[in-house]
Amino acid sequence: MADKSMVNREFPPFTWEVERGKIRELVQAIGDKNPIYLKREEAVKAGYKDTPASPTFITVPMMWTNILIDVIKAVKINYAKVLHGEESYEYIQEIYPGDVLTGKIKVVSIDEKSGKSGSMDLIRLETLYTNQRNEQVLKASTLLVERK
Amino acid sequence: MAAELFFQDINVGDEIPVLVKKPVNKVQLVRYAGASGDFNPLHTDPEAGKAAGIGQIAHGMLIMGFVAEAVTNWVPKTYLRKFTVRFAGMTRPDDVITVTGRVTEKKQDSGSNIVKGELLAKNQKDETVIAGSFEAALPDKK
Repeated sequence: MADKSMVNREFPPFTWEVERGKIRELVQAIGDKNPIYLKREEAVKAGYKDTPASPTFITVPMMWTNILIDVIKAVKINYAKVLHGEESYEYIQEIYPGDVLTGKIKVVSIDEKSGKSGSMDLIRLETLYTNQRNEQVLKASTLLVERK
Repeated sequence: MAAELFFQDINVGDEIPVLVKKPVNKVQLVRYAGASGDFNPLHTDPEAGKAAGIGQIAHGMLIMGFVAEAVTNWVPKTYLRKFTVRFAGMTRPDDVITVTGRVTEKKQDSGSNIVKGELLAKNQKDETVIAGSFEAALPDKK
């Protein structure tokens, strides 16, 4: 069982500098050929300041900083048994190369649910990202499912 | 790439262009692991998948990326306000994912032209792997 005393726990902020190459690498792995992510001049032509981060880019700071693993350990769930249940984004501002993001992650709820395939724990996390100007850029909500 | 799209051009029931992805392959899973930083061996090592009792599966976030690609082929990315997915099924190497979606609601809300829609990613067996939704704010036709 996940540690319910962790509900409402906020973790220390983590930071991540956004690189142009990382934006490109992610869309290339996905196979998304939209040129706004690949070429600055195409992005500018389409009205962006620079090559913007793609809609699922925010998974990069989440995974590369290891913050998600830290949270999984802190709520005492078994990483090998964790599945990703839901992911939700609210886009507030574009994210561009050179931006320095700060993420604040919080455990919103931990619930136990029993279904056909046994019982599971549902862990809801919320992360707010701001940029180097302290402006909000994105809110993320993540549901982790720990199979028992 | 998404062409310009205006609020007035959209109707409830409109379908977004269907996106059929190339089969998911193992090299792609390794690339996605490196790009995203999700190195859970379940996604890249068949033995680890076997040990976990579910076999090698793709990163859910890779498939969310496919769904994002479909949406932003239709509506310019900068208009996207909200994007939510539920991971309903697992994707395995060689699966062919098709993304569809349609507009479910259109409204004007405190000066914004809001369009909402539902999204589905299915595999070649017509099983749903992602059920999702989006919300976009579109400009008026000049």
